[in-house]
Amino acid sequence: MKNKACVTIIGGGVVGSATAYYLAKNGLTDVVLLERDYLSSGSTGRCGGGIRQQWSERMNVRLAMRSVEHFKNFEREVGLNIEYFQGGYLLLAYTEEEEALFKKNVAMQQEEGLDVVLLSREETVRKFPFMNLEGLKLSAYCPSDGHANPHLTTFGYARAAEKMGVNVLTHTDAKRVLVENGKIRTVVTDRGEIETGIVVNAAGGYSHQAGEMVGLNLPTESYRHQIFVTEPLEHILDPLVISFVNNFYIRQTGSGNFIMGQGDRDELPGLEITPTWKFLKEMSDKMPRFFPFLKDVRILRHWAGLYNMSPDAQPIIDRSNEIEDFYFAIGFSGHGFMLAPAVGEALAEWIVFGEPRSVDISNLSLQRFERGFTREKNVV
Amino acid sequence: MERIVEHPLLKFERGEKIVFYFEDVQMQAYEGETIAAALHANGVRMLRITPKGSRPQGLFCAIGKCSSCLMEVDGKANVRTCITPVKEGMRVRTQKGRGEKSE
Amino acid sequence: MNNPDLLVLGGGPAGLCGAIEAAREGLRVLVVDEGISPGGQLVKQTHKFFGNENFYASTRGMEIAGKLLKELSLYPQVILACESSVLAVYPDGVPVLDRRSDSTYLYNPTRLLVATGASEKFLQFDNNDLPGVYGAGAVQTLMNQFGILPGKSVLMIGSGNIGLIVSYQLDQAGVEVKAILEASSRIGGYRVHADKVKRLGIPVLLNHTILKAIGEKSVNGALITALDERWRPVPGTEREMVIDTVCIAVGLTPSAELVAQAGGQLKYIPELGGYVPLHDSDMRTTIDRVFVAGDVSGIEEATTAMIEGRIAGLNIVKDIKGKCNETRLEELKETLSAFRSGPTSSKIRSGLEKMDLVTQPARYVEGEVNRSGEFRGKLRPIIECFEAIPCNPCETSCPVGAITVGENINDVPVIDYSRCTGCGVCATKCPGLAIFMYQEREDGMALVGIPYEFLPVPEKGQSVYATGRSGEVLCTARVDRVTRSANKTNIVYLTVPEELGRDVRHIHVTNREESSLICRCEEITVEQVKKAIREGYVDFEELRRYLRVSMGPCGGRTCRLNTLMILSGETGVPVEKLSPGTLRPPAIPVSFGAIERNAKVTHE
Ligand SMILES: Cc1cc2nc3c(=O)[nH]c(=O)nc-3n(C[C@H](O)[C@H](O)[C@H](O)COP(=O)(O)OP(=O)(O)OC[C@H]3O[C@@H](n4cnc5c(N)ncnc54)[C@H](O)[C@@H]3O)c2cc1C
Ligand SMILES: Cc1cc2nc3c(=O)[nH]c(=O)nc-3n(C[C@H](O)[C@H](O)[C@H](O)COP(=O)(O)OP(=O)(O)OC[C@H]3O[C@@H](n4cnc5c(N)ncnc54)[C@H](O)[C@@H]3O)c2cc1C
Ligand code: SF4
Ligand code: SF4
Ligand code: FES
Repeated sequence: MKNKACVTIIGGGVVGSATAYYLAKNGLTDVVLLERDYLSSGSTGRCGGGIRQQWSERMNVRLAMRSVEHFKNFEREVGLNIEYFQGGYLLLAYTEEEEALFKKNVAMQQEEGLDVVLLSREETVRKFPFMNLEGLKLSAYCPSDGHANPHLTTFGYARAAEKMGVNVLTHTDAKRVLVENGKIRTVVTDRGEIETGIVVNAAGGYSHQAGEMVGLNLPTESYRHQIFVTEPLEHILDPLVISFVNNFYIRQTGSGNFIMGQGDRDELPGLEITPTWKFLKEMSDKMPRFFPFLKDVRILRHWAGLYNMSPDAQPIIDRSNEIEDFYFAIGFSGHGFMLAPAVGEALAEWIVFGEPRSVDISNLSLQRFERGFTREKNVV
Repeated sequence: MERIVEHPLLKFERGEKIVFYFEDVQMQAYEGETIAAALHANGVRMLRITPKGSRPQGLFCAIGKCSSCLMEVDGKANVRTCITPVKEGMRVRTQKGRGEKSE
Repeated sequence: MNNPDLLVLGGGPAGLCGAIEAAREGLRVLVVDEGISPGGQLVKQTHKFFGNENFYASTRGMEIAGKLLKELSLYPQVILACESSVLAVYPDGVPVLDRRSDSTYLYNPTRLLVATGASEKFLQFDNNDLPGVYGAGAVQTLMNQFGILPGKSVLMIGSGNIGLIVSYQLDQAGVEVKAILEASSRIGGYRVHADKVKRLGIPVLLNHTILKAIGEKSVNGALITALDERWRPVPGTEREMVIDTVCIAVGLTPSAELVAQAGGQLKYIPELGGYVPLHDSDMRTTIDRVFVAGDVSGIEEATTAMIEGRIAGLNIVKDIKGKCNETRLEELKETLSAFRSGPTSSKIRSGLEKMDLVTQPARYVEGEVNRSGEFRGKLRPIIECFEAIPCNPCETSCPVGAITVGENINDVPVIDYSRCTGCGVCATKCPGLAIFMYQEREDGMALVGIPYEFLPVPEKGQSVYATGRSGEVLCTARVDRVTRSANKTNIVYLTVPEELGRDVRHIHVTNREESSLICRCEEITVEQVKKAIREGYVDFEELRRYLRVSMGPCGGRTCRLNTLMILSGETGVPVEKLSPGTLRPPAIPVSFGAIERNAKVTHE
């Protein structure tokens, strides 16, 4: 095991792996990526894999659009087919409030150059005849949204980083970070120590705990989110479909399985990820109403992962004012997978060049919570 | 593949005689048998053709654990025929590839 | 009954006996079983059982089931439901799918007894998914439950008790068994079962395996081959057999996923069939409210399954009512321990020891191993020479006189470890190859030196399969060093996990067929798995996600263990050190409609 590195990244999810990749790509290869379990074992490996650019906050739209560029080029650039598919996202509006919000958002998103359109109920029905769209007001449809396989994305970044010289250490748990006079000295793991000056907290659901290692009280907490996958069927559903008021999202994977989930307002913060019957029951009662053909389709596997939440449901990408060279990319709620390429790129630039170059992420600073903030509304 | 008529130890108490259809061909079965068992008694062993490699597959575990016996039954795809009882008039088809969405 | 006192998962001998004990004390019990009729493996067994007279030995399996069911029916507060699958054990309850009404119901029992039995292991060869290739259980189901012949002429793979018994049953039903193939050099099952089959004129081909099932749409032949001592096909010995059915009987593995979902800890113990739930002698798992019994707690026999079921049942009574018939409980434990004390149970005993269960060891192992145990950490020989035979090279070869056979050459050797220097000369001299070198290391591994007389001699660092006393693969191991000897008995030193040190007695390198399927749902081949491992996917979960192996509708039931074996073979990490990955609910695919519909299970 390497016992000295310029940068140590805590967390082998998609964010940590993308950061490692972009560090190496920018010439900084003296990097160790620490993962306590296997790559993608955290939220990444448990997520829905959706990639959406339709957000209510401008910053998220930009980051997502930048990421989509990377997803498009992923196979050529990083060297692995990640089952990326631009089948679009279809957002369903059922209330007047939603209708107004969608109109406002779509206008803003179009300003940013996004290929998003509003569809009337009739247009939506014509396009997706197999869905029951009773009560629908309108929908927002963006064909360049899509999805990819989160495991393969993480493996792709990590393997490519490894090839450039990054040391990827799985089954290695970061236990403590030794700090002297506000400067990072050493990361202590269960398999040895790494002398290091720069640490990136990409610990996903454990970002708060990773912050505590250097004595910071980062404003993130985690919530269980459940999801399941059905047996494979012939391909019929191109877009990922979301309804915010009905609280669901659903998509069909490249292998034909349907993946779907919902948020649960009763969840308490914590690190518990055992799935429950309540979720399966609620989803089974609900989903066939919107997708009648699901009634006889069988559920194969059911699991849960953590949403790491900041106070405004938007990521925090910043470096600490108190601890020198302690970076963090955390609090991604339900959209860290899709943002990871742009975030990894920006963070790596920050570390290597002293500032993020490709996108502006100043709105995602930790300080925003002192100023007051608006919550991202387009979340399940 | 045939039914055992005489056995040194066992006596088979078969249910009512019924008919079902495999690929529209009428076949005989006894109430209480699984679809896969009834098909075997009629000499049918190939139950599905896999989606990727188009490999023929048939009964393997017979207790609903392996997915090798998935067939289309009365228009429904992905039915585990080794644990589903055969019923009068049932229409059974070889499943080719992934199940189509059922109507 | 939403909240029974006891929910029993599985209505085989173990589950039924547990239910009977609990019912006798007035507990409200719900037994669910996914089969069409209750009784588990018993209902398929037409032969007379071995075992303890008090536990229905010499009665036919199916009749035992009848007796247990009759006993259970005496208690009106018991519900026994068939065609009902337990989907999962969730923190908020245990959902049961009633297949007859295709609906589900959530139960919240006070105690859970998991008695789900075992599932069959799968084997890799070309076309192993061709229709006409069956698991032994499927053949029994067709034949003994439905009275339908699986084919006209059968090739049986595996000569363990199941392979032998099913061959006998096939013959009884009028099906020709062309041959029984056994990869190792001896019959795996009990001598008596083998004799029964041999009497029928069914040939048992030792050192043989199947390479390929032949046929377009279903089996009409098989390609078989002889194997050498290291389980490699001997070129030129391949031949075709005309058969229409291949029956795979290569062993069972516990169906422990529901215990894992409940939070119970599993451990890989090859002697017990694979991943087994850790439990104590009261059959309590690492989760307080969850008990196990029968094959799910380690592959064994119906007799032990029944005793374990009763032990679990009594403890559940004690948990709920505060007391139970302690005398009876003690008696049952003693019977169980006595049952296991014979030489044929040595595998079970060493398996259970790994769970820290107190077992009554057989005399012959005890003496030797304990004496050697006092010198823990010292490199020393283990002498496994227990029969009185006229032989003494060990005594005469030892340069420091540490081994004594004594005046009567028929006496067994006795060793003085305080004198032994660990030179290993005796091991190379023993004509019976009965002396093994042994040393515990500080990292939980042990060094085992094996006398080896085959070519090629493996090299330092090479990864080989470490096998046990009956040739069964126990783990993969790296060769630490090889000491060559002029008399050609070389000693190959392996590092193996200490728990396996006493059992590893030989090595071999298998040659798996590369184009055979490992995962029949997702159609993934052995070669694809190996390629991915070479690309760096050396964690089971990573491999699974990269290739989708074991992501199909079967939930990894047929391919998980085999994938782990390949991973172990390619990386040199023993299976027990690999993470087996998570076993996600539900245990059987269930439709949206069935979950939406709510109905309690119905009585049998
Ligand atoms: C059910 C569900 C559905 C989702 N759907 C989507 C979606 O459709 N689209 C989308 O974009 N996002 C989705 N998300 C969110 C997305 O999964 C996450 O935002 C994203 O994966 C976060 O990536 P990460 O690398 O930051 O975290 P993680 O993937 O959680 O990675 C962090 C890693 O750090 C490791 N770690 C933690 N502490 C330590 C330590 N001390 N030492 C070593 N290693 C450590 C963990 O083991 C973990 O592997 C979903 C999330 C869930 C739970
Ligand atoms: C061919 C053969 C010959 C044998 N011969 C002998 C012999 O001579 N003597 C002897 O002592 N033993 C013999 N045995 C072994 C003996 O049959 C088993 O050890 C014994 O049946 C194990 O009992 P059990 O109750 O643990 O499991 P099983 O009998 O396997 O019962 C488990 C039950 O659980 C049910 N189940 C599993 N999962 C679920 C779920 N999710 N939901 C609901 N139900 C579920 C299954 O349908 C099954 O009915 C033989 C076994 C075989 C295969
Ligand atoms: S190892 Fe050497 S010293 Fe020890 S008993 Fe054998 S021959 Fe004697
Ligand atoms: S030489 Fe081998 S076989 Fe002979 S007595 Fe010694 S240990 Fe036994
Ligand atoms: S044969 Fe295995 S599920 Fe039916």
